[in-house]
Amino acid sequence: MKNVLLTGCSRGVGLVITKVLVSKGYTVYGISRNLSNEYKNLMNSFPKKIKFKSFDLSNVNDINKEVFKNYIPNSTKLHAYINNAAIAYDDIITNLNVDRLENMFKVNVFSPLNIVKYAIRNMIFNRNSGHIIHLSSISVHTGYKGLAMYAASKGALEAFSKNTAREWGERGIKSNCIVAGFMETDMSSTLGDDMKNRIFKRTSLKKPTDLNSVANTIEFIISGNAKSITGQNIHVDSGTI
Amino acid sequence: MNNKDKLLTIINEVLEGTQREKMSKIKDEYNLRLDIGFDSFDLAELTVRIEEVFDIDIFEDGIVETIEQILIKINEK
Repeated sequence: MKNVLLTGCSRGVGLVITKVLVSKGYTVYGISRNLSNEYKNLMNSFPKKIKFKSFDLSNVNDINKEVFKNYIPNSTKLHAYINNAAIAYDDIITNLNVDRLENMFKVNVFSPLNIVKYAIRNMIFNRNSGHIIHLSSISVHTGYKGLAMYAASKGALEAFSKNTAREWGERGIKSNCIVAGFMETDMSSTLGDDMKNRIFKRTSLKKPTDLNSVANTIEFIISGNAKSITGQNIHVDSGTI
Repeated sequence: MNNKDKLLTIINEVLEGTQREKMSKIKDEYNLRLDIGFDSFDLAELTVRIEEVFDIDIFEDGIVETIEQILIKINEK
């Protein structure tokens, strides 16, 4: 039984990742602030394969106790940590608010880094060659008006992932980023149609990024079929140019 | 089993994990790197295994270099 810790499980691409992983036999340990009806329904359909813990990732210092000791102790052998939870921050730089910036960095960067610390500790304890996957964003590689702060948080993850791969490779632990293009989820719902169309015009496929292709790429990376892939940024972005 | 014997068992688990010879005893003055031959990855694994048994993170507030320093942290808890 392969156990996966997935943050941001209850909505958007997190829900689709949960469905894909369960269909492939994984057990999903989900974390979100709130339990959505969709996730609850999935739990009812697969009661032994889908678990849930309500946790607010802005509580960086509670991660060891709440996420690991009380939810995924060392006796639960962790196969992968998928860092999917994130909050958006859409504004131009001259309006930057430090409190909002700090809160976003707690959720998007500080907590994920702290979770990686304990995920690696679990993997060392179990002598398990596990996987770490960060959901990054095309905004790191292609600038967009209003996304500088958000992109900065995702760029931090890409740098951390590259160095995680280097540091822990000799213990078999792999770290990769999925660089997702713009997806039709709640996170992008605040963008107007005009803005969305401009974004999609910058892609080769002229379409939003398909959630299933993101989820299935993640499943491929953590399956035994991609053992030599680590330290990479894998773009799943409708060919953004 | 006293704490020192438990610590020896944990150290041997780390050594076994990388197919190294087990130790029959440890002395208080042994340096983890120089006398036991641990590198930073071994020390990370040692930390995790000690935490699992004693519920204490020995590296949380500074560097630990000898067996005696670990035992002091465990006994202080």
